[in-house]
Amino acid sequence: MKDVITKEHVFAHPIQKVWNAISVGEEISTWFIKADFKAEEGYNYTFTSSEEHGCLNITGKVKSASPYTLIYTWVVENTTTETVVKWDLQETEAGTRLYLEHSGISNYSGDSAVTYFNNYNGGWNECIEKLTEFLTKEVHAG
Amino acid sequence: MQDNITKILKAIADPKRREIFHALVIASSALSITQISGQFDISRQGVTKHIKTLETAGLVGITSKGRERFCTADAKPLKQITEWVRFYEQFWDTTLKDLGDYLDSK
Repeated sequence: MKDVITKEHVFAHPIQKVWNAISVGEEISTWFIKADFKAEEGYNYTFTSSEEHGCLNITGKVKSASPYTLIYTWVVENTTTETVVKWDLQETEAGTRLYLEHSGISNYSGDSAVTYFNNYNGGWNECIEKLTEFLTKEVHAG
Repeated sequence: MQDNITKILKAIADPKRREIFHALVIASSALSITQISGQFDISRQGVTKHIKTLETAGLVGITSKGRERFCTADAKPLKQITEWVRFYEQFWDTTLKDLGDYLDSK
């Protein structure tokens, strides 16, 4: 049984462009979630979800931000459990390879995990979906 | 409550405990410590220790009948871990797709 989620993805874009997309607050706010974020070690960031969809804020601290590795803690609002998200970029011939790692499920106590899923499973997905829809329209309109 | 995920992960980290747990899952009825001990060729004391760890994690229930103790498996606590993993697997898939779309459109 694993307690780490890993994702690997190749983007046909230069590494600096991908890095900016994941580490610059304005860019994160465009494609992902409204972000008060700086890629500086020790920075306390906030990802703000829109309340009308019943979404939750994410907060955390930037642990490491040296091009091209970004590590920050991930705390969901109303929970105290700290998980860790790591973005690691590598330059390839085709563009940029991203390794994403989300670890720390073992930090969840059973009770809070259950509460968490009962409350937000679906809700948050829906939120992200709506955000995606909106962004897709915005981006294409622009 | 004993269903702390750290305890669950600890309980299933040991290969022998996983085997014992698996044997209990597929057993049609509760198994006694003696039966488990015979099936795995480890001492009653060893089995008892493993069962205790599994019980602490909420993965095994123990009932006493006379001098013998009977064990049953409960896989529910594992669901907490798989749910978490499933949620974030999907979440990050969606997120990376969005990132790709964003990069393509820039």
